[in-house]
Amino acid sequence: MHVTFDDARYEREPWAVSARGLFTEGIHLVSGDTGSGKTTLALMTAGLLAPSSGAVMREGISSLLVSFQFPEHHVTGRTVREECESWGHDPRVIVSETRLTGKEDLSPLALSRGELKRLHLACVLSREFDLLVLDEPFSSLDCREKARFCEVLSRRTRGITIIFTHEQEHFPRVDRIWEIAEGTLQCRGGIPEALPCWDHAPEVIRALVRQRKIPANLTRKDIVEAACRT
Amino acid sequence: MQDIRLRTVAALVLSFSAFINLWGAALAFLWWIACSGRVREVMRMRMLLPVAVMLAFFSTVLSLTGGDGFSYFLRMMVIVLIGAWVYTEQTCGEFLRFGVWALGNRTGFELGMLADMGMQTLHQMVQDFSTIRIAQAQKGGCPSRKTLVPAGLVLVTGAISRAEHTAEIMAVRGYRNGGSLCPRFPRVRGADQVRCLAALCVLIISLVPVSEFFILS
Repeated sequence: MHVTFDDARYEREPWAVSARGLFTEGIHLVSGDTGSGKTTLALMTAGLLAPSSGAVMREGISSLLVSFQFPEHHVTGRTVREECESWGHDPRVIVSETRLTGKEDLSPLALSRGELKRLHLACVLSREFDLLVLDEPFSSLDCREKARFCEVLSRRTRGITIIFTHEQEHFPRVDRIWEIAEGTLQCRGGIPEALPCWDHAPEVIRALVRQRKIPANLTRKDIVEAACRT
Repeated sequence: MQDIRLRTVAALVLSFSAFINLWGAALAFLWWIACSGRVREVMRMRMLLPVAVMLAFFSTVLSLTGGDGFSYFLRMMVIVLIGAWVYTEQTCGEFLRFGVWALGNRTGFELGMLADMGMQTLHQMVQDFSTIRIAQAQKGGCPSRKTLVPAGLVLVTGAISRAEHTAEIMAVRGYRNGGSLCPRFPRVRGADQVRCLAALCVLIISLVPVSEFFILS
């Protein structure tokens, strides 16, 4: 099961983004500045946008999902209950997990964007996909929800999960780090080897790397462990 | 046609020609094919088919109630094609420049800004709709009335919310009415002048009875 970017390039004059690399099973983190092309690459990964040149190949993938940045784009149900059912889930389970009890009969569009994002991510993560592409999954979530989401995401052991984000504080357990620099997707490698050369690394990780206290991974627990290391 | 002033004149006279009679519609259609330079782009527009279906429905109703539905359908479709051509040629800020040029820094500025904001919203809605369709397809649902309703709700609530935010931001920045702008337009090309003249000719020909040109028995 893998996704291959074979010199894939997308151009929209005067802007362009290109990618070359192999995404295998595991959790991949793709970071990059705003406007660097994360959403474009996310769409290309899922085959929803054809590259201007080169190719993106998906092998051994029978189910995929792209979670868009704005959760309202995914809404098809008239109520929260119907929305959960539209994903094939038991509304009682999702509603209690997302602390939306009592709001089952509200329109999903009547929820705040944070609540809707919470609901959407819970629905997405309750299903198994060979390829799961998450475009800015942390946007609109508060710190507590980001931490909870990272915990759930870290438990994913099957399939390819690619997270496109510019988040700087909360991360799940990650297998490989990528970043978009100067219009090109670059693989920084596995963790922890990738951390010293990760340009978009959060300040806390940079500081730890400077002190040669390299964390084992990006989760809060790993960072705390590295910071407390003597 | 780079200059919005020429484009607006051409669009107005062509739409009027197409509206008044079938002869004018046929000539405007020929102009659209020969001079617009955007035939392929317009034909790729997804909104064209639903609009044609809607027009066909109203034309049928008109025919059933004793009117000339067929003529109505053809004339309206030509007007839609002209509108689609204007839409594909439009660039950001053009209406504002045109408004100020035509009606000055107060009324023109306001109308131009409104038109530009409307176009921006339209672009955003088209983009959002395409994302919503992808998201719905990922859930395994086929496009139907059941999926169109939530999509419409998302689009409308999104547009209202964006409009509210824009209004708040403008109020916070102290906007009351009007503004100051010195509109600049690209240099008018000879080919564009010819195309605009051709559009005027379409109007003149469609206003003059056909019998003035041809000896009909």
